Amino acid sequence: MSRPLMQHLEVPVPDGEGERYSLRMGPQHPATHGVLRVDLELDGETILACMPQVGYLHRGIEKLAESRTYAQGLILTDRLDYIAAMANNVGYCVAVERLLSISVPLRAKYIRTMVAEMSRICSHLLWLATHALDIGAMTVFLYCFREREILLDLFEELCGARLTFSYPRIGGVRQDVTAGFISELQRFLDIFPSKMEEYETLIDTNRIWLKRTVGVGKVTGEEALALGLTGACLRGSGIDYDIRKHQPYDAYGLVDFEVPLGRDGDIYARYRCRMEELHQSARIIQQCIDQLPPGPIVGPDAPDLVMPAKASPRIAAGATTYGAGLIKLIRDRGPYLAGDIYVATEVPKGELGFYFISDGSSRPYRMHIRSPSFIHIGAMAAIAKGGLVADLIANIGSLDIVLGESDR
Amino acid sequence: MEILLLIVWIVILFTVVMLHVAYATYFERKIIGHMQVRLGPMRVGWHGLLQPIADGVKSFFKEDIIPENADRPTFLAAPIICLVAMMSSLAVLPFAKGWVLADIDIGLLFVFAMSSLASYGVVLAGWSSNSKYSFLGGMRSMAQVISYEISMGLSLVGVMLLAGSLNLSAIVEAQGDRFLGMYLLPQCLGFFVFFISMLAETNRVPFDLPEAETELVSGYCTEYSGMRYAIFFMAEYIGMMVMASIGTLCFLGGWHGPFPVPFFPPLWFVLKVYLFMFIFIWIRATLPRYRYDQLMDLGWKMLIPLALANIVLTACLKAILT
Amino acid sequence: MQIQYKPRRGWLGTIFQIEILQGMNLTLKRLFSKPITRQYPDERPQVCAGFRGQHALVRDAATGDSTCVGCMRCVAVCPSRCIQIRTHRDPKAGNRRVIDDYRIEAPRCVYCGFCEEVCPVNAIVLTKVFEYSRFERPSLLFTKEQLLDNWDRFVSQPDSQADGYLNPFWRPRGLAEGDLPAPKRLPVPSEWSGEQQVVGRLWRQHLPPGHV
Repeated sequence: MSRPLMQHLEVPVPDGEGERYSLRMGPQHPATHGVLRVDLELDGETILACMPQVGYLHRGIEKLAESRTYAQGLILTDRLDYIAAMANNVGYCVAVERLLSISVPLRAKYIRTMVAEMSRICSHLLWLATHALDIGAMTVFLYCFREREILLDLFEELCGARLTFSYPRIGGVRQDVTAGFISELQRFLDIFPSKMEEYETLIDTNRIWLKRTVGVGKVTGEEALALGLTGACLRGSGIDYDIRKHQPYDAYGLVDFEVPLGRDGDIYARYRCRMEELHQSARIIQQCIDQLPPGPIVGPDAPDLVMPAKASPRIAAGATTYGAGLIKLIRDRGPYLAGDIYVATEVPKGELGFYFISDGSSRPYRMHIRSPSFIHIGAMAAIAKGGLVADLIANIGSLDIVLGESDR
Repeated sequence: MEILLLIVWIVILFTVVMLHVAYATYFERKIIGHMQVRLGPMRVGWHGLLQPIADGVKSFFKEDIIPENADRPTFLAAPIICLVAMMSSLAVLPFAKGWVLADIDIGLLFVFAMSSLASYGVVLAGWSSNSKYSFLGGMRSMAQVISYEISMGLSLVGVMLLAGSLNLSAIVEAQGDRFLGMYLLPQCLGFFVFFISMLAETNRVPFDLPEAETELVSGYCTEYSGMRYAIFFMAEYIGMMVMASIGTLCFLGGWHGPFPVPFFPPLWFVLKVYLFMFIFIWIRATLPRYRYDQLMDLGWKMLIPLALANIVLTACLKAILT
Repeated sequence: MQIQYKPRRGWLGTIFQIEILQGMNLTLKRLFSKPITRQYPDERPQVCAGFRGQHALVRDAATGDSTCVGCMRCVAVCPSRCIQIRTHRDPKAGNRRVIDDYRIEAPRCVYCGFCEEVCPVNAIVLTKVFEYSRFERPSLLFTKEQLLDNWDRFVSQPDSQADGYLNPFWRPRGLAEGDLPAPKRLPVPSEWSGEQQVVGRLWRQHLPPGHV
């Protein structure tokens, strides 16, 4: 029982007494949000060392992308953070558009901003649901799912899928929004604040919730930067960094919203940040609905979905047949295509970055994904150390990790 | 002949309590379901009414898995210890005037003894499973039961002082059949402490640390399956009922109600017990879970001083008034 | 923007457990509100038109056969490479391509809908049908006949809204109008191309009368 699990960590046993207790939590554990394994060295219930182990959900998405065209790679991003697939889709499309310098019509930008924020609400609702369930408040879980269901129905109406959307396209979006969709969305926005109040009634000032979250899992601003935290985990520590605000993409520069900042960097601050972000997301969606401009939903230079891997001589010679779209693009703007680019977008979990190396063909030579969950899991060891097992559970929930994204 | 009659009574009590336990799970699932805007069990029978029976049949025929490295005799004995301890405390509960199996004078102490004995079952289950989660669950349970047993015992001392007896029937009779006679009012501090300790004693939310499913998978019963798991479940629900009965007897005036019921004297008793059960369930649907050290804090730094203060207050008041 | 915390509870709130009672009040209220559960097999979910479910090949009413022209665009675009088409040239019909077989390996499909999007003749669609799980793998390898049957089954459903499936997507890029090899792509509905688009604050006026 006392066989040291992590000799290389040189865990000190306090006071030279007591026995160390090593516990491998997961990968099948109800509170690890997927297939995370955390190797723990315990003294009683106090965590002496914590070593997260990832990779149980590795599917080789980065490698798969190398054998798919840019258009086909979109479907892989659905499977990264499957809770907020739309935000990943948008991030991917923004990255590819920057790489190929493709312009997007304004209407498509607004629609994308709208759906990305919808997906942020979905993701934050699921985070709140599971986080509260981890801490034991089981009713919040179902109240959150009730509202999430409305959004999933809306997504289904919009693009025909509830989880793996593949809705944005390089240079636009797949389908236009209909009046029915917008009216349903408006109805959701109308009821959403009252539902938010319900969640807050149950947990916000509850003394048990406060005891479990205030002062637990503290990360100072410097530590958060050093650990590479992004998203609400970083903003909870008071660092003002939001890519939507500071490097606006899509229509984020055109809408008005606030970046909520926490004070203490504990679980409660992160919780408050995300709750405030829910309000801000609803505000952004409302503005997108109000400002939605007319126009096309796909730009004139958007490539065809059918991108040939290499220009065949017949097509390159100018013969008009199917799939000439990207070939034309390649010919026209050769210098822009080869090279590399890193484009980051703000997904619900944090900063999702796509790093492409392009060799001029229609497939990425290399695609690297900077997934926030992976980096947050890395930070867990530092945050959870010294706490109790129950705090580790609260921390996992608070860091808001999704293993599909971390293991990709 | 007398023994035969007693056995018949025991069998009847056993059956009735088991039925109540089965339907308490149904009651809980339905209520929590509706509080969470769900429906709860719906598929087995009309509105899922046969669900408890289906669950019983399922767990009875399920494979009984005993881990290879478990301490076999202890592993097998642990759920039985739990169940037997909980069931034997039923013997001293008066359901109505004269409706009691063993009207002993130390009834209250007997119930305490039995409910602490039940925690041995939990601790042994945690230890003998030879699983890390079970072990942690067993440890938590041990610490929790020890600290909350004290505050619960102390909270009832006030009642004993007022009633001047440890016999549960005598306690009820001492309260009389008037609404104001209930010990709920003079003993409100004691009731508060008793209620919280009761939640902790029966491992209910917000004190369900020994089986905190999001932390320790399922705590001490992680390795149990089939009927043995069901026995733990039954013991937990019987424990809830026993604690609710003690609360009813000591604070809510037992079987006394606004008017006597002719053919079924324990009606008010049953209603009051179910009120307690409803509050248990209601709290479970609302509150998050305490952390291990906070639970200890609450028990030792809050409840025990409060209970002691209550004893002093009650004793002084009684000395002044008489 | 600094986030605002709710004020800490006072001593009265601490003694009388105000915030816990508020929470319990909410759960008690919800006890009597209408549950949102949908009893699935008894209560069918409303699936929206455009749902990406089971694959089907549209059966052409005129010929009784698929409208597929074997252009291979779906094969080229499929990210999971689960579509196989076998064709031959028919000298009698002006050397045009005729498909021998059209196979979809449904277990590999990721339901992205790219194939229906790029199809120039609306031959392949992903229908509303979502209950087609099977116990054995080979029965999910759809052949051309099975795919045509899927379409028949789909349109025979009372609420199939099959028209909504006939390619409401943007036009394939890089494909001149004249190059469309067969019956032309359906015209894009006018409400998506300008005048009738849902715009900003004016979206309410596009609602059909009687819509809330």
